[in-house]
Amino acid sequence: MLPATALALGVLAALLAWPVPAALARARWPRRDPLAALVCWQAIGLAGGLSIIGALLVHGLAPWGHSLPEAWWHWVTWQPSTEPVRGDHWVAQTLAAVLAVELLGVLALSGVRTARTRRRHRALLELLVRPGESAAEETLLLDHPAPVAFCIPGARPLLVLSSGMVAELDGAQLDAVVAHERAHLREHHHLLLLPFVAWRAALPVLPAADRAHDGVRDLVEMRADDVALRSLSGPDPRRTLAVAIVAAAGGAGGQVPDGALAVTGGPVAVRVRRLLAPADPLPARARWAALSSAVALLFVPTLLLLLPAVV
Amino acid sequence: MASLGELERTLMDRLWAAPGPVSATELQQQLADRGLALTTVHTVLSRLEQKGFLVHDERRPRRFTPRATREAHAAELMHEVLGQAGDRQAALARFVGSVDAEDAAMLRALLAGGDGAGSDAAGAR
Repeated sequence: MLPATALALGVLAALLAWPVPAALARARWPRRDPLAALVCWQAIGLAGGLSIIGALLVHGLAPWGHSLPEAWWHWVTWQPSTEPVRGDHWVAQTLAAVLAVELLGVLALSGVRTARTRRRHRALLELLVRPGESAAEETLLLDHPAPVAFCIPGARPLLVLSSGMVAELDGAQLDAVVAHERAHLREHHHLLLLPFVAWRAALPVLPAADRAHDGVRDLVEMRADDVALRSLSGPDPRRTLAVAIVAAAGGAGGQVPDGALAVTGGPVAVRVRRLLAPADPLPARARWAALSSAVALLFVPTLLLLLPAVV
Repeated sequence: MASLGELERTLMDRLWAAPGPVSATELQQQLADRGLALTTVHTVLSRLEQKGFLVHDERRPRRFTPRATREAHAAELMHEVLGQAGDRQAALARFVGSVDAEDAAMLRALLAGGDGAGSDAAGAR
């Protein structure tokens, strides 16, 4: 029997499905240390998936052995169960399989779809823009009045500035924009965001999936701002970047994003505020506490799954 | 030897500039100074067609027309960049999303040192 393990995993899954993401989304420390918070979100996502699938699997395979590895081995080698198998064991097994296939399948599908979109964008850009028109070799200049900058990650990353953006900003501000986008590319932020985009699509009923996605989306922007600041010279790089953000956000033809914007102006205002009036960085001890919680979060379900059950 | 991307751009520029459908032979003649083989022109044309940038008619020889103008392609790309489709969020990283007029005014007030500029530091734990 494995009931204690299944119960513990179930409790952990419930915590990770609601209160933990809600608390992290509400907390204010992540904007002081976006990198540590990003690690926490990744751990929450991974541990959440692991514990809910693990809980179902442990319960479903309970009649076959005393620990999950043992029960799993007995099950795949068609050995008879040591205890009577009830209907709920079959239901738990089926749910575990469905959930695992759904989460991994949606992730793969999302990855494929994203790669296809990127390929199309890249093909369009290569057709419309001659390379080498601007100073930096990998920066493309797209002829369009809206002030827009973006990068397309991948094996051959592209960094694109619109002519509207170049007209709107001065040289130092453009450098800040380019440094921000380069930070996204160098730290592969698209890979941190991809699972959360996928799981939001896979679990539309779970508010935590929404929260986690929005949290990660905003944190990678703050992280890119922080990294960009390091490479910027000039008297007040924080203000330079903030001015660039405000100019780019306000001038794109009045398009409103679909995300719910708070009265405070939403994530863009948070970015501008933390640039203009930076809070102290997180103390080293708090940072280590956050990082070790993230590691512990991954260890707990893994150990519960591998160790023999405590009854 | 020019790169494929460069050839694709050159051929598309010719097709966009042409008043009507153009055949591969005509394109080869127009670009005679580059000394392109007809098979090269065909290769590039079929690549462009695969990417959805060209359509051809049923005549012999086939004649090619751009599927949309250069401006329409630029508009299509920008529409996706500015739009908020779910796939797009993962496909590219935009510097900053756009906000509505009210929020834009609020952001400018922040820059000018107006309300709330200090709230992040004050409210942080």
